[in-house]
Amino acid sequence: MSASPVIAEKAEKKQGSYQWLFYSVLTIVLWGGYGATSKAVADDINAYMNQVLFTIGMFPLILLVFRSPRMSGGRKRGLGIFFAFLTGILGGLGNITFFSSLNSGGRASVVVPMSGLSPLVTVVAAYVVLHERMSTYQKIGLGVALPAIYLLSL
Amino acid sequence: MHFPLWLVFALITLLFFGLSGVTQKLATNEISMELSYFWFVLAMLLIGLGIVILVPLDWHLRAKVVTLAVAGGFLNGLGAMTSFKALAVGGKASIVVPLCYLYPLVTISLALAFLHERLTRTGVAGIALALVAAVLLAQERPQAD
Repeated sequence: MSASPVIAEKAEKKQGSYQWLFYSVLTIVLWGGYGATSKAVADDINAYMNQVLFTIGMFPLILLVFRSPRMSGGRKRGLGIFFAFLTGILGGLGNITFFSSLNSGGRASVVVPMSGLSPLVTVVAAYVVLHERMSTYQKIGLGVALPAIYLLSL
Repeated sequence: MHFPLWLVFALITLLFFGLSGVTQKLATNEISMELSYFWFVLAMLLIGLGIVILVPLDWHLRAKVVTLAVAGGFLNGLGAMTSFKALAVGGKASIVVPLCYLYPLVTISLALAFLHERLTRTGVAGIALALVAAVLLAQERPQAD
């Protein structure tokens, strides 16, 4: 009998402790590409329209995951689905409040770097909710990452 | 004490984006990356549908603009998927999220190559700090089983 899909995914975690790094770097590259396409169309498209088209672009990937055997299972399936759905709601509403901030008088030079500092909220919330702890190097890394994110978004 | 409306919206954005990193990890603690991504996109579709219904949109766009915007969504979706995967295979939200937020590093490089943008001093400083940050954030101790 094979292990459940989620257990199999957790087993990957044990096989290579740096797999998370590979996928994180891949995310940086993919989101970097997204950032470049956004820059290319920024002057030609309304922010709300961009959000709609952006969501349409995400849709075909659902077909990719839909056939996965890992769509079934999960320890606390309902709870996991709730948090995944909440992630999408927070991301989508975050985009709307971001545009609203710009539309209600916020300067892009302030609002963009400010929203870019959201990982600080993640780190604090992860400390409180997930009891995550960082190594000394990682704490310094975070200290360097925040001004880096700020400068890169100017 | 008076807060301008734009600041209220900006602070809500900061909070929502920040918390989404933790809810992402909470999801992958319980279900697979694939199922997490499925429900994440369904929520995004709901928001997109809300915009279509509530906000007057100008659909008269050039094909090139539509293609690039949709391609951007596709790349962002793939990135969301790999970020779910990074968390599902054991990455900490407090490390993976700040690391992934260094993506403008790649955006700037692509903009230099394809959009013929010029690099500013703040851009150079940002890139240098981002590279140092990436190396330091990657210094994870092997997990004890």
